[in-house]
Amino acid sequence: MYKLKKISFVLFLILLFVGCSDDFLNVASREEIEAEDSSENYTPDEFVIGVYGSFTDFTYAFSWLGVTEIISDNADKGSSPSDTGTDKHLLDNLEFSSTTPSIESVWTKWYKTIGRATYAIEYTENFEMSDEQLRSRLIGEAKFLRAVCYFYLVRYFGDVPIQEQDLTQRAPQEEVYQYIIADLESAAEVLPEKGVYAEEDLGRATRGAALSILSKVYLQRENWQQALDYANQVIESGQYSLADNYEVIWREEGENGPGSIFEIQARGESTAHGIQQYSTTQGARGPSGWGWGFNTPTQDLVDAYDSEGDEIRKDATIIFAGETLWDGREVSPSIENPRYNEKAYSSANAGAGDGDKNMRIMRYAEVLLIKAEAANELGQTGEAQSALNQVRDRVDLDRVTTGDQNELREAIWKERRLELAFEHDRWFDLLRTGQAAEVMQGHGKNFVEGKHELFPIPEEQLRKTPQMEQNPNY
Amino acid sequence: MIAKDIFAKGLLALCLSLFLVTAAYGQHSVKGVVNDQAGEPLPGVNIQVKGTTQGTSTNAQGAYSLTVESESDTLIFSFIGFQRQEVPIQGRQEINITMTPQAIEAGEELVVVGYGTQEQVDLTGSIKRVQSEELNKQPALTATEALQGKVSGVNIIKNDAPGGTPTVIMRGLGTALGGRNPLYIVDGVPVDDINNIAPSDIESIDFLKDAASASIYGLRAANGVIIVTTKQGTEGAAQFEADTYVGYNSVLNKVNMADGPEYVTYFNEENAAVDGFQLNQNQQYDTDWFDELLNQGRFINSKLSVSGGSENINYFFSYNLNAEEGLLDNQKFWRQTLRNNNNYRLFDGFLTLDQNLSISFSRENPMPFGAFNTAYRQSPLVPTFYPNGRYGQPFVNETTGEVTYEGAADETIGRLNTHGNPLTAIDFNNEESNAITLQGNLAADFNLTDYLTFTTRLGATRFYGDTRAFSPLRQQWISGDPTRTVAQYQANKEANPGVTDWADNTLFVTDTETFRWNWDNYLNFSKSFDDHNVDITAGISSEKTGVGKRFRGRAYDIPEQEQYWNLDLATDQYDKIVEHTNFTPNTLLSYFGRVQYNYDRRYYISGTLRRDGSSQFANTEDYWELFPSVGLGWTISNEEFMGENEAISFLKLRASWGRLGNQNVPFNSTVVSTDPGSASQNYVFGPAQALRFGASVGSPARDISWEIVEEWNLGADIEFVDSRLTSTIDVYQKTTKNLILLVNPLPNSQFEGDYFDQGAEVVNQGLELSLNWSDNVSEDFSYNVGTSFSYNKNEITEVETGFEGLTGGSLGNGQITKRLEEGQPLGAWWMYEAVGVWQDEMEIANNPSIGGALPGHLRYNDVNEDGVIDERDKKFFGSYVPNYNYGINIGANYKQFDVSLDAFGVAGNKVYDGLSNTRFGGENIREETFTNRWTGPNSTSEHPGANRDAIASDYYLKDGSYLRINNITLGYSLQNIVNHLNRVRFYISAQNPFMITDYPGFTPELVGNGSPYGTAGIELNAYPNTRSLLLGVNIDFQ
Repeated sequence: MYKLKKISFVLFLILLFVGCSDDFLNVASREEIEAEDSSENYTPDEFVIGVYGSFTDFTYAFSWLGVTEIISDNADKGSSPSDTGTDKHLLDNLEFSSTTPSIESVWTKWYKTIGRATYAIEYTENFEMSDEQLRSRLIGEAKFLRAVCYFYLVRYFGDVPIQEQDLTQRAPQEEVYQYIIADLESAAEVLPEKGVYAEEDLGRATRGAALSILSKVYLQRENWQQALDYANQVIESGQYSLADNYEVIWREEGENGPGSIFEIQARGESTAHGIQQYSTTQGARGPSGWGWGFNTPTQDLVDAYDSEGDEIRKDATIIFAGETLWDGREVSPSIENPRYNEKAYSSANAGAGDGDKNMRIMRYAEVLLIKAEAANELGQTGEAQSALNQVRDRVDLDRVTTGDQNELREAIWKERRLELAFEHDRWFDLLRTGQAAEVMQGHGKNFVEGKHELFPIPEEQLRKTPQMEQNPNY
Repeated sequence: MIAKDIFAKGLLALCLSLFLVTAAYGQHSVKGVVNDQAGEPLPGVNIQVKGTTQGTSTNAQGAYSLTVESESDTLIFSFIGFQRQEVPIQGRQEINITMTPQAIEAGEELVVVGYGTQEQVDLTGSIKRVQSEELNKQPALTATEALQGKVSGVNIIKNDAPGGTPTVIMRGLGTALGGRNPLYIVDGVPVDDINNIAPSDIESIDFLKDAASASIYGLRAANGVIIVTTKQGTEGAAQFEADTYVGYNSVLNKVNMADGPEYVTYFNEENAAVDGFQLNQNQQYDTDWFDELLNQGRFINSKLSVSGGSENINYFFSYNLNAEEGLLDNQKFWRQTLRNNNNYRLFDGFLTLDQNLSISFSRENPMPFGAFNTAYRQSPLVPTFYPNGRYGQPFVNETTGEVTYEGAADETIGRLNTHGNPLTAIDFNNEESNAITLQGNLAADFNLTDYLTFTTRLGATRFYGDTRAFSPLRQQWISGDPTRTVAQYQANKEANPGVTDWADNTLFVTDTETFRWNWDNYLNFSKSFDDHNVDITAGISSEKTGVGKRFRGRAYDIPEQEQYWNLDLATDQYDKIVEHTNFTPNTLLSYFGRVQYNYDRRYYISGTLRRDGSSQFANTEDYWELFPSVGLGWTISNEEFMGENEAISFLKLRASWGRLGNQNVPFNSTVVSTDPGSASQNYVFGPAQALRFGASVGSPARDISWEIVEEWNLGADIEFVDSRLTSTIDVYQKTTKNLILLVNPLPNSQFEGDYFDQGAEVVNQGLELSLNWSDNVSEDFSYNVGTSFSYNKNEITEVETGFEGLTGGSLGNGQITKRLEEGQPLGAWWMYEAVGVWQDEMEIANNPSIGGALPGHLRYNDVNEDGVIDERDKKFFGSYVPNYNYGINIGANYKQFDVSLDAFGVAGNKVYDGLSNTRFGGENIREETFTNRWTGPNSTSEHPGANRDAIASDYYLKDGSYLRINNITLGYSLQNIVNHLNRVRFYISAQNPFMITDYPGFTPELVGNGSPYGTAGIELNAYPNTRSLLLGVNIDFQ
């Protein structure tokens, strides 16, 4: 028994040693700096900048061309016949499917951008900062960018999941639109006007930008009155006017000009930073060329300009083989394709990896055209004509005088095509206005009604969330 | 001769003096003869006077004589394989003894169960013990290597590279990304591997296969537990053992590549399809790259051990040297180990101390296995060296069609392919790593009463490792093209100051130091009350691993001579890179208990409970988890109703359930992505468009906990015909819950980077069967036949929504071959199904095809019949892990000869011929590929033509089953040649002499990086299986 007592004592000592067991297990990290010791602090603005930065991804330089212009009657795939650009031929010929990489790429990119925006919003909300005005502005900027992405998504895919709510179920379009409108309205409330921002903040989302997108959202929903009201708010803000010369809008000197409402910023000097290779993918291809030669204007678009006698915008939009560009560059007559997109042409930075080209998302001219279209639908013919003719006046075209609602509508639609060609809006317009089937079939493409109005949900997504149903006929 | 004489004389003098000394004090002499049961004399039997170190052994006639101090002394007779006898002298002068063989009844075989031992017959779980004799039948660097095919349910995949470590998978793959290695316990000390232990130092290895057995090791036991017990000395005079073997090895499955003329034909067909240039039929060179690259490997292994002991102290000391040279030039490995194990019995047995210490030194000069890949791919038309001594490279004069780097000014010099000269990979590789492992433990058993023991054990392992790699960058660059000159390099170097690409050379060094310790304390209570037998163990274990640091450094432009390879001696033209890391240690704290009870050795019940805490989970402070298990057993043959059953001598049924953990899991950390240049986190603002740096969150910091395994086991042990036929059968179901996956985030989620999460369940179900037959036919002839068979089915039974679709098995050319999906095995193949070959353009135009299809390309099945060949048409094709493993081991002894034969096979798996598939054009092909190729419309619809795509498809997926003769050994023993020399055995052995397989590459045993979603099962850079022939000798003397 004595021995047992001794042993009990030994065991007691051991228990004493291991008694503070959690202390023994709580080993201090030596390899990675633990969060509480981290001296690296990120400001909310850094996460907001990260959301803007998302728009400079390569997706916007290649996939984006495919799903907005190449797919439409404005552009052909271009490049060499053997170079498909992965899937641009499928988009050009309306033969895309749920496995088409460009569609998956934009779907994913928009959701990742939405994710960055949501993270930035939450981070900003919880961040200790004294400047409440800055806090709400940053949140407003992130909400604006989030709404832009959802607006792309809902127009292309119809019912789509709202990331912040449920990743596996597609929310009805109506809900998605309400979500977009809520974000934009709240952004419009807090964002400063273009003129109020400090100079170094030029390029951030403004109240005008939020209102413009709101007006475009209502136009999409054929809520003419709201579309008109918001367009008028932008016009009456006095922040914007049409640039005198259409030709310079897409040149370096035209960046953030008087008509600029929102554009993706890019800089050419080292360290260059812009949409990666935006100018390269669309640069002229072949000997003496400077790019890959994708997204080439169609003869149909040339004809459209010619039918209006619209030389100014035709020349500003299209590079013709053999022409001498405004900056003196001679384009060889033997380059691979007859035409290229001039709006993507960068004089200083033609083939550089990081383009210096600001991509215009919303211009004052489009606001005027939205106003014209909404007013026309509301029977306010005079308002409509006046807005439309402001845009035509700049490019020396005759004023539209017709009072016929249908004729005026056609004229406004055509004006949109000519004014905004290669500004990544054509396919949306064709679908929105219900012209897609007729126009595309007329253009020799097999547009299937009841199918091609929406893109297929990408296969990768469906495989992982099978509850999500595919769009019809894919 | 002179030296020998001196030695003999010295020995004689020593013996004489010993005799004189003993005679001087002797008061009583005893002599006699020791026989076995058949009346034959037994030489070499140890005879010791109890309580002294005094003793002798029998001579060739079995006779002995010795002098003792007192007539009342007791003699101890011992001999391996026979029962030890203690005989009091009681005044006798002649004592003749008959030794009885040790009854090899199963009932007396002990197995190690973790914190204790148990008799095999009392087990309720599934534990397989392998003894030293079995282990050392086959030469091996690491003990597990020698056990391939010998333990059912344990899949051992060999790696024949010098210093290579075998992969051990017990009862199927249960984890995709966590640690896959079993836990090793060496003499009570948990370690990660047993590479530092010479197989000849091992007494036994116990495989704890089922969860109920392994759960005493809790959170690290999910991949099974392997308990290694090293040798100890036994009471008696010093026993010396010396073993040496030497051997050669070469490639087992040589791959026949196309020769020069065949290559020309193939190349021209391939190029014609894309309107490329054509090669001349007449070429200067016809190189067999494998002949140039491969040497005969060789190896030597020597060991010397001495052991013995007295009543209170036993000792064992050994030295082992293993040296190998591989198939490639300068590919070397050697290891030396020293071991000293002592046991002390103190205070009349109240305290026993066990002390083990081992030191292992190893050095390795590894060579890149990529050389096998390059040798396979490089054209035979390229010379090893040009006549001017420069390395051959695949330059070709496209104008003349001659494979040469020379040509006239207006001729085009191109390349046949993108690969280099395989010899340069070897010649410019200069790596060396050294390791020292110190491992030891000290255990004290306090025998408090005859039924209560307290044990405390302290174990520690210290590891020092250093590596260095020297790359002569300038020579490498120059060797890449025979027209390059030193002057060009120099010019580039001067034009790019500080740019390390143009440094003359670089040296990379790593120093690593780690330490781990464990301290176990436990009490054991073992007592029988009538027919009730109770055994209880309870204790505490604490452990700290991963204490240590690593230093890594790189410098450029150091002196060329090896003696000056110091980072310090580098020029200051280039920045040095220095990394220093202190590892975050891992602590473990565990409380464990085990209760075993049986009634009359008929009915058994046992249970264990372990509570484990691990610092791995410090981030959540959720340290603790419970690991219970229960086992039941029924020994039917001990029931009275079985009576004296003639046919069945032993029959036991077992059932168990247990729970295990895997703490070796990957962790997430929140990564905020930032970038100092142009990246999509950054943006520009303002009229000057100033670059502003932003940030984004890549992946979530999702908390991860251990993988949990739950396993059922049902088993039976049956012995027939006087235990000559023994068999064990087990069935199990092992479920890994919350399997950790690297989740590729949903496209519509906010996460941009992959992250780890627990999202799947994997079930391994299997059957294990072993049958052994042994018979002593006569005095002179005995034999045994053992077979083992195991079947395992692996299936992912559940995947959380959104986690499907983890892909892997990258071929390195953008193609992937594996995908995770519910209902499929872990690491399942997933690719296009090849259905014939396109014969002409018409056929392609009229059927769904993949982009870029040409006649002669493989045609893929449009599985979903939507007219498009895309990802949705990919199919699952099983797994690289075999479903069936089987082994056959035959041994026989006839008089002085012994022979053994072991075979091992697997079936039910597929392996991927990545070497043939991943071609970019211009690579060489196997002769078989050349012969079978499509050559034009209707030539064949099975094999593609010379111009083919590099898309992954089941065409390249081959049956991975094989049957290999592992070992054929013939031995001849001489007994008792002279006094003290008990036995000399000579043997000759062929290792892996044959393999039967349909696989056309070097080896179907493709471990790759071991990860089910990595390169496991894909042949790209595998080291070939080797066959070897060796000669050896064992000498036992006293």
